Amino acid sequence: MSADLTEVREELRGVARDLLSKAGAAPDWQLLADAGWLGLEADAAVGGSGASFTEVAVIMEELGRIAAVSPYLGSIVLGAGALAALDPLPGRDELLADVITGRQIVAVALATGDEAVTEDLSPFSIEASAGRLRLRGSAAFVPDAAAADWILLPALTASAEPVVVPVRSARLTIEPQPVLDGTRRLARVTADDLDVSAGPTWHPAGDPAAALRRLADRAALAVACDSLGLSHAMLDATVRYARQRQQFGRPIGSFQAVKHACADMLVRLSIARELVEAAAAALAQGTSAAAAEVSMAKSYACSAAMDVTGKAMQLHGGIGYTWESVVHVYLKRAMLNRSLFGSPAAHRRRLALRYG
Amino acid sequence: MGTADLGQFRAGVQRWCSAHVPAHWRAAQTGASQEEFISFQQAWFQQLRAGGYAVPHWPAEWGGGLSAAEQVILYQELAAHDAPRLVLGFVSIHHAAATLLAAGTDAQRRQHLPAILDGEIWCQGFSEPEAGSDLASLRTTARREGDTFVVNGQKIWSTWALVADWCLLLARTDPAAPKRHGISYFLMDMRSPGIELRPIRQATGEWHFCEMFLDNVEIPAAHLVGDENAGWQVAQSTLSAERGMTMLELAERLGHAGLSRLQRLCRQAGHDEAHPAVDPLVADQLASFETEIAGLRALCRRVVERHEDGRAGPADASIVKLFYSELLQRMTGFGADLAGLQALTELEKPASSSWESGAWALDFVGSWEWTIPGGTSEIQRSIIGERGLGLPREPAVTS
Repeated sequence: MSADLTEVREELRGVARDLLSKAGAAPDWQLLADAGWLGLEADAAVGGSGASFTEVAVIMEELGRIAAVSPYLGSIVLGAGALAALDPLPGRDELLADVITGRQIVAVALATGDEAVTEDLSPFSIEASAGRLRLRGSAAFVPDAAAADWILLPALTASAEPVVVPVRSARLTIEPQPVLDGTRRLARVTADDLDVSAGPTWHPAGDPAAALRRLADRAALAVACDSLGLSHAMLDATVRYARQRQQFGRPIGSFQAVKHACADMLVRLSIARELVEAAAAALAQGTSAAAAEVSMAKSYACSAAMDVTGKAMQLHGGIGYTWESVVHVYLKRAMLNRSLFGSPAAHRRRLALRYG
Repeated sequence: MGTADLGQFRAGVQRWCSAHVPAHWRAAQTGASQEEFISFQQAWFQQLRAGGYAVPHWPAEWGGGLSAAEQVILYQELAAHDAPRLVLGFVSIHHAAATLLAAGTDAQRRQHLPAILDGEIWCQGFSEPEAGSDLASLRTTARREGDTFVVNGQKIWSTWALVADWCLLLARTDPAAPKRHGISYFLMDMRSPGIELRPIRQATGEWHFCEMFLDNVEIPAAHLVGDENAGWQVAQSTLSAERGMTMLELAERLGHAGLSRLQRLCRQAGHDEAHPAVDPLVADQLASFETEIAGLRALCRRVVERHEDGRAGPADASIVKLFYSELLQRMTGFGADLAGLQALTELEKPASSSWESGAWALDFVGSWEWTIPGGTSEIQRSIIGERGLGLPREPAVTS
């Protein structure tokens, strides 16, 4: 990694942290668009800045830090990511340009559970019958589907070829799935013999199955970035509290039991950061080891986030257990992140497949 | 140095390793006598020296001069080729050299750095029976008498003291000063009259440590390092100076020989014909260790980079030491569990190997040699909390 690129990324991080700290927990989508964060990866031809996933990773981490309510995961990591991975057929560039200016929200109805790690990623099938193309299937826990104007549906053709079908969300059944984590918007997307003959069917560029796999890996790593960010916010909050809260006539942070727990948080997060950054670089460069690196980062960072947020609640004492405190918000987001796009165990299973 | 040059450097190291790493050294070093161990270590050190790889971290004028990026590659390749480790000369080439380079006089450097290249062995005289984690409370005294210091006291846990030529010694030169302010740093000739050594057998059955009794040992004032009463600062600055690269070496070892041994162990058929690798719990653990090792290796590279750029974090050294030592303990513990009774029949591990030699039960017992010395895990956590996170120190006990 060149020092210049690292510097650019750290500058982006500083700007993002500053802007987001003023924007509140549900930052205005147009604010993110104006900052240029929606088109970080996109080509200049469609209005993007031609950077890479490592910059997207920075934004994801900073959004995690404030536990943001934002369609960034759905529309940018997945939506823009999917559009960029498709063959440049008519309509694609226009939609991508609209996504990165924030005019349209696009969600991707990819499988989101453990099956997404090692098994099939296309929850939909597309078949010709009586001269019409019909789409059917259902995907659960699709990020930001309810807010989306378009949904991209990964589907398998009768000959098991993966394709992507863009559908106006109004034509689909989209049922919001409320979850304990109040900061995420997930929904079930169902297509019930939907006639898609009129619209285009897009093909992932290159090896279609590998392209979908990369898309799922992007999502998994983005969630890991989010967990890294939210963990750091909780470590910072806990350290602040431990320095200020007095018991037995001294700050509780001077007690080894508290201090050592904080030290363990920092150690785990130091390791998690390395894994996340290595995986982001591998994904950005498209190296063959990227999938394994993503699995390491996802499993480790999301497990670490559980330890850190749990410990944050413990060390904040009674006040940390209240609804007023933000700790439960972070704990629940960490729990959701742990499961979304593959549990730690599922990702370790994928790693273990390489052992033969 | 560009990527292409580094690629060439790596290829050169690979060629050298293929030609020079002794075949079957593990078998030869298992059950080796102390003499065999020492002569093997010295011969391997001289081979590395001839290749230009013995002291890569030293300045070029003293025989080193590899860039940090090259050192990283060197240690990666030595690990990948499962080369023997420089166990005996560790204190000499790292702590002694770092101390001399940072705080030694020209005369001290000229005397010792070439001698270390020729095989001079150093030990450390820091800890005392009553000064372990609380090192600054050490009681060994050095009383100035003209151009000489007269040393009295007792040191403990001095690795390889029995075969060492020289010792890095901390002793109190101003008993009236506050704890950390009255300590001086000396180079002590181990042939000096008045030194008595008693080996300590450790939990693994090996004899790496010594107790050292110092009875009116005379040290010329010319062997003082840094200013009188400024020894604590000298020790602090050199103790962690080398940690980045030495930890990187160990992390690379863990990632190569360590992980591949563990993978082999997992694949071996169990007593009941079960194939442990297909046991999902075993596979899950293995994936977990692989992940943690990958994170540790990346963190070590990062710490080395930051150190090079003068951006070292105040808790960097403690974070890698703590994580490495506890990972080593969990990993060897897992290996011992998996290898079962068979692991308990291995009564000796190969000398000159890394901390995960494949004799899992002994490796596990030996892992406390990482969680206790060099600042226990508890001390490391306090350092990380206080220096890394800015948490308040514990109030001093006043009595």
